[in-house]
This record gives sequence, structure tokens and C-alpha cells, in this order.
Amino acid sequence: MNSKPLDRHALGQALTRLANASTSDLMRSPQRTLALSAARRIGLTGAPGAGKSTLAGYLALHRAPGRRLGILAIDPSSPRSGGAILGDRIRMDELKGVSQLYIRSIGSRSASDGLSDNLPEMLDLMDEFEFNEVLLETVGVGQVEYAARVQVDTLVLLLLPESGDVVQAMKAGIMEMADIFVINKADLPGAQKMASDIKRISSLARHDEGSWRPSVLLASSSKPESIAALSEEIDRHQAWLDLNDRRKVLRQQRARYRLRRLIERRAGEVIARQDPSFFEAPMVQQLDLALQQIGRKS
Amino acid sequence: MNEIKTQRPLAGKRILVGKPGLDGHDIGAKIVALTLRDAGAEVIYTGLRRTPQQIAQVAVDEGVDAVGLSILSGSHKELVADVLAQLRALTAGNIKVFVGGTIPRADQALLREMGVAAVFTADMPLDVVVAELAHQLS
Ligand code: B12
Ligand SMILES: Nc1nc2c(ncn2[C@@H]2O[C@H](COP(=O)(O)OP(=O)(O)OP(=O)(O)O)[C@@H](O)[C@H]2O)c(=O)[nH]1
Ligand SMILES: [Mg+2]
Repeated sequence: MNSKPLDRHALGQALTRLANASTSDLMRSPQRTLALSAARRIGLTGAPGAGKSTLAGYLALHRAPGRRLGILAIDPSSPRSGGAILGDRIRMDELKGVSQLYIRSIGSRSASDGLSDNLPEMLDLMDEFEFNEVLLETVGVGQVEYAARVQVDTLVLLLLPESGDVVQAMKAGIMEMADIFVINKADLPGAQKMASDIKRISSLARHDEGSWRPSVLLASSSKPESIAALSEEIDRHQAWLDLNDRRKVLRQQRARYRLRRLIERRAGEVIARQDPSFFEAPMVQQLDLALQQIGRKS
Repeated sequence: MNEIKTQRPLAGKRILVGKPGLDGHDIGAKIVALTLRDAGAEVIYTGLRRTPQQIAQVAVDEGVDAVGLSILSGSHKELVADVLAQLRALTAGNIKVFVGGTIPRADQALLREMGVAAVFTADMPLDVVVAELAHQLS
């Protein structure tokens, strides 16, 4: 499948360097040449504890044969210390055969959108290392953190049975966000009802001609056939993207996100390091000075 | 800047906390994981009962600066030797290895001779542990 075996050591170190890269580092780093081929990107998102890591592990094992597949799993960083306990992989490491997969834990750092600092760059690096597919697990999300939408080709949203999630789903407008809805832990009571509720809402939502209609599946870690069905649905969505020439649109949206995040983070850093006296100057002057520093490449 | 440094002595460091072998004592490993997080480190906790081979591979994949082994089973000499050998086999012998747990004094020197950067026991205050790790990883 790939020309040479994966250099896990080099990738491990390169990702660590990227995770630690400051905005200045990014601004100075030369434009990467786009990798020859891009990995399919599949996102798994949902509330804390929805079963994202467990499902990512099973899905990865199902999809890995014949492919170079990697998992990037984001856990929240402590806003107080900046540190983190990165525990997503504990669930995955328990599965047999998983040591062949490349799993990488990522701290969200200063990001509060369910992703992490420098994630676009890390995903590009996976392309450079010739991955065919990357599964991305977001931080456990609430109603607003849907930045994963544009970072992946196929976004899978996990919902739990009997969690009152249906109303939440409507409120947050997530029907437009995910490509596939999974009622996870379907071994628990209430899953069927939840699935039909979501289907009903989904059918009410307006769909433009030729747009993808999100599908609703049940999944459970104890039912291998449910993992296989999800995997097939992901393939179907990937094929739909190709047929409808959607990847170009995704690339453009990603470029926007990358630039916006870089500037946002940079602005945050510049503002955080000012003395209190800075904010006593007239607003226009503050703005001028801040913008100057934001643009400075060192 | 200085203030932040002293508050977060391990900022930007990635540390794997692993429990090799069949030892189920995990209170110490969890306390240490939380302590390191509060000192600013990203801690990858592997959970219980990992083989030295698994721990070394995870350390490489995760691009960590250090591996911390928590061992209260008495088998520290064999397990530590194994982890060190597996790391070298993956050309990651440069990753620093620390050991904590019930390590008799006589064995502590032995582990250091094998290549362990420092050994920690339950009688050491946690800020001493953090300070030593920060010093070794700076
Ligand atoms: C609590 C305890 C248990 C609990 C464990 C609960 C749990 N989930 O952890 C239970 C009751 C289950 C238990 C069971 C057993 N235990 Co027990 N247990 C203890 C005891 C009393 C305290 C251990 C502890 O939690 N200490 C508190 C923590 C915070 O300290 P710590 O782990 O040492 O960690 C500190 C440092 O070492 C260091 N550190 C540790 N790891 C790391 C890692 C890094 C990276 C760093 C930087 C630092 C660091 O920092 C920590 C904080 O200061 C000890 C005796 C003792 N005083 O040590 C016996 C002890 C460890 N147990 C022992 C034994 C024999 C057993 C059993 C085999 C008994 C049996 N026959 O069934 C079983 C085996 C269980 C198993 N599956 O492994 C022996 C081990 C003998 C040996 N080493 O040769 C001990 C030493 C008792 C003795 N004197 O005989 N045990
Ligand atoms: N009953 C049932 N429990 C499950 C299933 N999948 C996962 N779980 C359990 O749900 C809990 C959370 O699973 P994780 O996979 O860690 O969930 P997560 O969404 O990754 O959690 P965070 O990353 O912390 O947000 C664990 O105790 C799992 O064992 C399932 O299909 N059925
Ligand atoms: Mg998880």
C-alpha cells in the first residue's frame, strides 16, 4: 500500500514539535508543499463520555487492514496549569491488535472549539507521512464547539440514548453539522426511540437539492455488526464527496479556519502580555500598537 | 515570564506515566499524573498492566520527553531493564526514564546504574518530585 514503512519515531517527534510551535514559529515556517495525496479525514465528536474513544478504537481496527490509518485524539488542557491528562488512548490500547495502529494524544492547549492549537498543521503532517486515513476524536463537546466540521471530510456525531439530546440537538442546530448521527451505547435502553426521534427531526430539516442527507445509525461496542455498518456508511459518504466535487470546498474552508485560528491565537498572546498601563491609552492607540505586534514576525 | 515558569515548571513537557507488569497498585501513579498535570505537563497515562514493549512503543508514538514507571510489585529490576531495552530497540534510548514506587534503597543505585535518571519513593514530598523532573528535563 505505502512505499516505505511508517517511521513512527520521526512522526512522534515531529508532532511534538508542532504541538509546541508558537504562533511566531508558524508565521516563520516555510509554506509546506502540499503532500501528494491527502488522507481521508473522519471526525468523531459528541458529549464527554459519549464513547468516542471506544468507538474510534473499534472503527480503526475495522478499517485498518490494507491502509495506513492513524488516530488523533484530543483531550482538554487545564486552563489553570496548561497541563493535561491525555487518557483517550487507554480505551483503545485495551483492544487487541491496536498496537499496529498509530495513536496520538493531543492536548487542546489554548483552543476552546473542541480542537487543539496547530491541529491543521498536524493533520497536514499526517498527509506527509502518507496516511490513507485519519480518525480525529474531538474533546467532549457541548452545543457550540463544532470546529471539527471543516477539519474532516466526514463528521460523525455520537449521541446517547435517553439523554434528552434530541431537544439539545435541535437547539444547537447540529442537524446541519454532522454527516452521520450515531446513537451510541445502543445496548442501553431508549436507543431505538432516540434514533426515530432524530430521524424525524432530520426529515423536517430543509435539505437543498443534491445535498447529503444525514443518516442515523445505532452503534454499540458489544455489536461488531454495528461497527461494520457505520464503516460502510462512512465509505458511502466519502464516495458522495468525490462524486459531488466537495473536497475543493472543504479545502477552502480549512484554509479560512487555519488563518482565523492563527490570528486569533496571536491576538490573544499579544493582548495577554501587555501591562495594565497599556489599557489606559486611548482605544485607537491600543488597537494600533496591538495590530503592529500581531503582524510582527518575531 | 519568570512567574509563569515557576508556577508551571513542566510546561510544554510530555510525560508518559506507565504501569508495567501485573501490579495493580495505581494510587501513586494517579497522584503523580495529576501532580505533573498541575505542574503544566501533558501526561499520557497508559492504564494498568502494560508490557514493557507496549510502553516503549507508546512513548515513541507520543513523542514524549520522559517515561515514568510506577512499580510496587517488587519486580522493578526486570521490568526497568526490559523497558530500557525496548526503548533502545526503537532508537529512543534518549528518552529519560524515571521510576517510582516501592524501591528498596539498595536497588535505587542499581536502577540508576542501569540508566534510570531518578528514583522516587513515597517519603518524598511531591514538589521535590516535580522540581527534580523539571531539572532533569530542562
Ligand atoms: C494501598 C495498597 C494496596 C491496595 C492498592 C489499591 C490501589 N488501587 O492502588 C490493595 C489493597 C488493592 C493492595 C493489594 C496488594 N498489595 Co499492596 N499495598 C498498598 C500499600 C499499603 C500502599 C500503596 C500506596 O498506594 N501508597 C501510596 C502511594 C501514593 O505511594 P506510591 O505508590 O509509593 O507512590 C509515591 C511514590 O512512590 C512516587 N511514585 C510512584 N510512582 C511514580 C511514578 C513516577 C513517574 C514518579 C515520578 C513518581 C512515582 O510518588 C508517589 C507519591 O508520593 C503498600 C505498602 C506501602 N506502604 O507502600 C502495599 C504494598 C505495595 N502491597 C503489597 C502487596 C504484596 C500486595 C498484594 C500482592 C497483597 C496480596 N497478597 O494480595 C496485593 C496485590 C494487588 C495487585 N493486583 O497488584 C506489597 C508489595 C511488596 C513488594 N513490593 O515487594 C506492599 C509494599 C506491602 C508490603 N510491605 O508488603 N495493596
Ligand atoms: N454500555 C456501553 N458503554 C460504552 C460503550 N462504548 C463506550 N462505553 C463506556 O462509556 C464510557 C466512556 O467511553 P469513552 O470511549 O472513554 O468515551 P469518550 O466519549 O471518548 O469520553 P471523553 O473523551 O472523555 O469525552 C466508558 O466507561 C466506556 O466503557 C457502549 O457501546 N455501550
Ligand atoms: Mg475519549
